[in-house]
Amino acid sequence: MTSKVYVALRVKATPERAFAAFTDEIGEWWRASPLFETTPRPGTLSFEPGPEGRLIETRAGGKVFEIGRIRAWEPPGRLVFSWRQANFPLDLHTEVEVRFEAVGEETRVSIEHRGFDQVPAGSAARHRFPDAVLLARLAEYWQSQIRSLGGRVTR
Amino acid sequence: MADWRGALMSAVVYRDPKAALKFLEAAFGFELFMLIEDGEGNLVHSEMRFGNAAIMVGYEWSDDYRSPASIGGKVTQSVAIGIDTDIRAHCERARAAGMEILAEPELQFYGDSTYRCRDPEGHIWTVSQAVQAVSREEAEAATGLKITGWV
Repeated sequence: MTSKVYVALRVKATPERAFAAFTDEIGEWWRASPLFETTPRPGTLSFEPGPEGRLIETRAGGKVFEIGRIRAWEPPGRLVFSWRQANFPLDLHTEVEVRFEAVGEETRVSIEHRGFDQVPAGSAARHRFPDAVLLARLAEYWQSQIRSLGGRVTR
Repeated sequence: MADWRGALMSAVVYRDPKAALKFLEAAFGFELFMLIEDGEGNLVHSEMRFGNAAIMVGYEWSDDYRSPASIGGKVTQSVAIGIDTDIRAHCERARAAGMEILAEPELQFYGDSTYRCRDPEGHIWTVSQAVQAVSREEAEAATGLKITGWV
């Protein structure tokens, strides 16, 4: 078993639009956070789309960091990718699953981030937080990302 | 933080909170919007939304917090749910999910139709739908109660 953080919010868009915005436009709505920094100096996130694709971060100098690889690419309902921050141990890959479900005229966007408790004690990625606090902050982080996505799709 | 949070929020305690999340979704249409589980799959924290309100579904995290199922079925607090949809359909959905209906939907003197039910761990929930406009004078005349704070 691994830890799970699950959050969901509704956005005012179809699943198709929400999926497209999540993947094609992530660089437009993604908000870097000092608590969960993927790289020491934030760059721009983008997906290389498709089942063999990746989630990458391109830094100001052009250097590319691979956050994760696509594990499931099923538009418009589901997307799974691995998640590794630069401050993780090299062999640690956590997993993020995003689902898009139509609810009336809205879409429920849910995110489940699995395995974050495997970040080892003492890692800078933990900020010295005990598990419960770390996972609560991670939940808030993902909520704020979905909220930002929601702002993007309703413009 | 969530995108909003009510000023009042109830934490409802269960022995098996993960089962409660599923049950409350089936019975009431509550929507899970946050769940945190530790490495053993135990629920650490969860929140469910309904309309413009939310509850936390929690576990018996200290000796002071108990599910009714652990203390002889008694409750000391109860959550009241206000709906703007048909209360009979709401009640039938709850019953089908396994709620024990303690009081069937019935019109109350204040103009709401309400029903009351008990979930598998013993929490009692009251559900109401406003169906009639009733003035304070009418309500006082009907019951003999003195009512303050009813505009």
